Amino acid sequence: MAFQLTQLHRLVERDREHECAGIGPSQVCVRIVAVAQLPSRFGDFQIVAFWNNRDQKDHIAIVHGDVVGASDVPTRMHSECLTGDVIGSLRCDCRDQLEAALRKIGALERGILLYLRQEGRGIGLANKIRAYALQDRGLDTVEANLALGFRDDERDYAVAAHMLSSLGVSSVQLMTNNPNKVQQLEQYGITVSARLPHLLPPNPHNRFYLETKARRSGHFIDFSGNPHLQEQSDPVLIEGMAETEPTH
Amino acid sequence: MAHDVIVIGAGVAGLQCGRELLAAGRLPLLLDRSRGVGGRCATRRFEGQPVDYGPLFFHGHVPAFVAALEAVDGPRAAGWPQRIEGSGPACQPDAFAAFEQRRAFADGMTVFPKHLARGLDIKLQTRVDWIEVDADGFGVTDDAGRQYRCRDLVLALALEQSAELLRRLPRSAEVEGALQLLAMFASVPSLTVIAGYPPDAPMPSWDICFPERSLCLQLLACDSSKRRDPKFVTLVGQARPRWSRERLDQPAERWRSEILDAAAALAGNWVRQPLWTHAHCWRYARVDRGNELQQPIVLRFSGGQRLGLAGDIFAAGGGVQAAWLSGQRLAQRLTHED
Repeated sequence: MAFQLTQLHRLVERDREHECAGIGPSQVCVRIVAVAQLPSRFGDFQIVAFWNNRDQKDHIAIVHGDVVGASDVPTRMHSECLTGDVIGSLRCDCRDQLEAALRKIGALERGILLYLRQEGRGIGLANKIRAYALQDRGLDTVEANLALGFRDDERDYAVAAHMLSSLGVSSVQLMTNNPNKVQQLEQYGITVSARLPHLLPPNPHNRFYLETKARRSGHFIDFSGNPHLQEQSDPVLIEGMAETEPTH
Repeated sequence: MAHDVIVIGAGVAGLQCGRELLAAGRLPLLLDRSRGVGGRCATRRFEGQPVDYGPLFFHGHVPAFVAALEAVDGPRAAGWPQRIEGSGPACQPDAFAAFEQRRAFADGMTVFPKHLARGLDIKLQTRVDWIEVDADGFGVTDDAGRQYRCRDLVLALALEQSAELLRRLPRSAEVEGALQLLAMFASVPSLTVIAGYPPDAPMPSWDICFPERSLCLQLLACDSSKRRDPKFVTLVGQARPRWSRERLDQPAERWRSEILDAAAALAGNWVRQPLWTHAHCWRYARVDRGNELQQPIVLRFSGGQRLGLAGDIFAAGGGVQAAWLSGQRLAQRLTHED
C-alpha cells in the first residue's frame, strides 16, 4: 500500500512552531507532533500525538475517517486508566467505556476519541492505588479521597478543547452521559451540536447496574461488595437502562 | 477563654496557615514546642555565624510561593548553590530542574519563617501532648498541663507527629479514614552534623556535593560559602535515610565521627579535625518524592468545628514549597467552606 499523506499529516508541519495565548485559566496550549496509521481490532484509525505546555503527558487523539474541517464529528473524551484500560480491572468501567467508544467510532463515517493522560483522576497511579487500598479496608471517606487528589476537570476540558480545534473540527457530537461536559467544552469555544448518550452493552461484569437495588447514595456497589468508581466522570449507562440525571 | 483557631506547629505550614487566617479576619493562636519559629527550616548560630542544618536553600516554581520568598527582607546569598559536585540524588529531585527557582539567604533559612511570623500570636516552648473534641470545639493540653480551648484546630506538624495527636480523638469514620490514609505515608530521617573549621581551612571548591557512592552521606554542603565575612569555614553533612534509620537510637557521638569520616573522603582529611561540631537528629526530615498527598485535610465534627491537617506531605512535590502551599490552602478552606 502506497503511503498517502493525509490532511492530518499536514497539521504536524502547521503546528511545528504553534504558540497561542492558551485556553482556560491554566492557559493550556497544545501542538500536533506526530500522526500515524493505527489499524486496531476496533476499526481503522489514525493516532495523533500532542505536545502540551503544561505537563510531560503526551495526550492522544484516535481519529477515524476525515475529520479536518468536518462538522458534527462524534467525539468521546476518555481519561487514561491503566488498571481499567490495560489490565481490565473490574473496579471501574473504563475498559468497557473505551471499547464501546472505539467500536462505535470505528463503525461510523468519522469520529474522534481523545485519550487524555490523566491517570487516576489526575492524582497519579500510586495515589489511585492508595485510594483503592482505603476502599479495601472499608474506608472511602470524602476527605481522604480529596487529599489523595481529584481530577483537575478544568484542565481536562481546556486540553480537550484545544486538541479538537487543532484537529480542525468545526463542531462535535459529544458522546457522554454527562450534560455538564457539553457546557464545559462549549465554554472553551467548541461547538457541540449534539450529545450522544454513551451506552455500554450489558455484560456479566456490569449487570449490577441494571439492578437498581445495587445503588447506594450515588455509588454502585458491585457483586464483590466494592464501590464501583466512575473514573470517567460520566455516569454509566447500560443498554436497557433508563437515562437519569447524573448525581454530581 | 476559647480561641478562634489554634495552630499546633509554627513551621512554614503552620505559619503560612496562620498568616492567611489572620488576613481573612480569623484570630489564630500558634503553639510550638521550640524556642523559635520555623520547625525544620532551621538555622543555628556559632559565634554569630549562621549555619543552616535543615533544608539548605529554598526552591520552588509556584508563583505565589516564589513571590513570598521575594518579599523577605535581608541579604541574599545570590545564586547559591551554584557549584554542585557529584551526581548523587538531591533530597528533592526537582530542586535543580530547569523551571525551579532557588533562593538562599546570607542570614540563614530562618529569615523566611521569621518573616511569615510577623504579627502572629505565637506561644513558643509549648509542647502539645493531648487534644480532645468537645461539644463545639477542641481542647488542647500542653506538657505543663496548661489547657486551651478553640473552635477550629490545625495540626501543622511532621506527618507522624500529627498522626499521633489525631489518634487521641474518637474514631469516627472520617478520623479513621484520615489515620489509615496517613499510615500509608512516612517521613524519612536524616542525621545531620555541622562542623566548624578555622577561616584558613581549605574551602571546598563546591557549594554542595551529592556523592554518588556514599552509603552514609546524602549531601555535604559548604555552608560558609553562603555567608558574608564568615569567621569559620563550616560544613553540613546530612545522612541518607536508610543509614540514618539504622542509627536513630544510637548516641550522637557514635554517628558523628562516621559522618565526619564520610565527609573527609569527599573533601579531604582536614575535615576530621573540626574546631567544633554540632549533631542533630532529624527523625522526620522530609518525605520522599511521590509520597505526597495533593491537598490538606479538613475533618468536620458534629458541633460544626473543624480540624485541619497541613504540612509538607499535603501538597504535590514535598519540601518547603509544599508545606507553604498546604498551609495556604488549608487556611482558604477553613475560611471559605462552611
